[in-house]
Amino acid sequence: MRQRGIIAMAIVGISVIALAGCSSSSTATSTTLGSQTLVGTFRLTPGSDTGSVASGSYFQMISPGGTIANGPFFSNPDSSAANKSYTLLTPGTDGGFITGAYQPNPNPPFDASGNALAAAITQPTKFTAIEFGLSTNPTDLLTGKSTPVPTISVKDGKLSGQVEAWTASWNKLDFNQGTPKPDGTSPGLTAPVTGTYNSSSHDFVIVWASQVVGGPFNGFTGSWHLQGTFTPKK
Amino acid sequence: MIVAAVIGAALVIMPIAFNMFTKTPKGAVMLSEFHPLMTVPRLDGFQSEIHQINAAVEEDKTAVAPYFAAQGVTQSELDVRYPSLASLDSQWPSINSDMTSLLDKVQGNLGNYQAIDALPSFRLFPWFFVIPGVLILGASLTALLRPSWWRTARWTIGVIGIGLVLAPAVFQMFQRAPDGGRMMTSFKSIETTTNVTKIQNYFATMSSGQGDLRLGVVAALEQGGLSSRQVAERFPAVVGLDGNWIHILNDMTPMIGAMSDNVANYQAIASLPPFPLFPWFFVLPGVLVIGAALLSRDLNNSHHLDEGAV
Repeated sequence: MRQRGIIAMAIVGISVIALAGCSSSSTATSTTLGSQTLVGTFRLTPGSDTGSVASGSYFQMISPGGTIANGPFFSNPDSSAANKSYTLLTPGTDGGFITGAYQPNPNPPFDASGNALAAAITQPTKFTAIEFGLSTNPTDLLTGKSTPVPTISVKDGKLSGQVEAWTASWNKLDFNQGTPKPDGTSPGLTAPVTGTYNSSSHDFVIVWASQVVGGPFNGFTGSWHLQGTFTPKK
Repeated sequence: MIVAAVIGAALVIMPIAFNMFTKTPKGAVMLSEFHPLMTVPRLDGFQSEIHQINAAVEEDKTAVAPYFAAQGVTQSELDVRYPSLASLDSQWPSINSDMTSLLDKVQGNLGNYQAIDALPSFRLFPWFFVIPGVLILGASLTALLRPSWWRTARWTIGVIGIGLVLAPAVFQMFQRAPDGGRMMTSFKSIETTTNVTKIQNYFATMSSGQGDLRLGVVAALEQGGLSSRQVAERFPAVVGLDGNWIHILNDMTPMIGAMSDNVANYQAIASLPPFPLFPWFFVLPGVLVIGAALLSRDLNNSHHLDEGAV
């Protein structure tokens, strides 16, 4: 009886270890309870101007007290869109946003004028005269808290996940723009990752919002809209 | 000795009662974050930047708009083409007034800030009460429990009492603490969430409006036939602001960040007892423990006297 118990515990233990090994493997995708983890590069379609609204990949900043849908939005005079509330994004040297790995801030992170030098996810993009850059970092640059690698999963064509490590750098300042925040909270308008994924074409749309906590834009919210095609890691 | 023990216990309890261990480190953070901003060059620089924006906005109204009007472009058309600049123009009187007033207030408190910044770190303040409190309490209890140590304990308490009386004078607290109090009063209307949000929105308005000037108006002037040199000669304030804009952003953003990040820190410090009272929190217990030490009864002697009387 005692032997049986030991054998059963050993089987359970080996199964747990095996499952853990599967989920942390570097395969392009893994499946857990019907949802599939997408590990690879979310290659971005550049943001484009279609009149009053933008398409592709873009960013908006909502003023304190506003809403994600209706703003009021910070008007970025350097935006190439007609509607200056949209800041259009262009894929960086990695082609876009990588899950299962970090795309850290370079060193040095800024030039003398405060332009961000991070160029892997998107090309540095002007925001009121100064370029901002995006990165994902194992340690949050503002709070020093550790942040997990970004993960995105798909279930029935719907995307979910976490991008706690997402950081925007501008004017010699770093702003966590992830969801949830590094302390696990979702303050203000911070909204989780949602989106759609077509498993045949690999086309995706990912959206989330993240309220700035601290610094000169405290209380403003970044609304992120990433669109493109997913390339699984080989 | 019982009186001294009570005063010692009160000194230990006071920082805990006032939550000083939580609040004073926030004051230290606030002073530290404002430190790079609270200098004459930086504060003069902020004032100069507001003057530059003011000059450019005025020039836009009094020179640029008439120039366009002469070309057949009306103000209404300009407002449609450059909505962020129109918004800046319309809001500028209140932005200018509020920002100038804020900067005047901050600049007026530079001396007060420097006085309070020259005090020992706020982080240490609770310990300035707790450590003498523990020593007084310990010495008093020792004297009460071991009468043979009475003389040593009495001297110890007396010396600590003198230290408490002298500490505010040594640290110039009678002058600096009221200065700090004046700064806290002035910052009451600055370090609020409402005011910081207003300044953030002003910043957004200025940034967007300046962008219209930099990217829209100047480009339109050049497309209209003026060379870059002619634009610079005719509209020096607008072109000057363009040239200095990144420096202004580099300069102003940390100030807004410091204001925003220290609302909670300010409120924590503001909830402490008024700064001018702080020197007296040392002097009064100091005087009392000196008095208690001088008047305390030697239990050894009184015991012997009692025996003699018997």
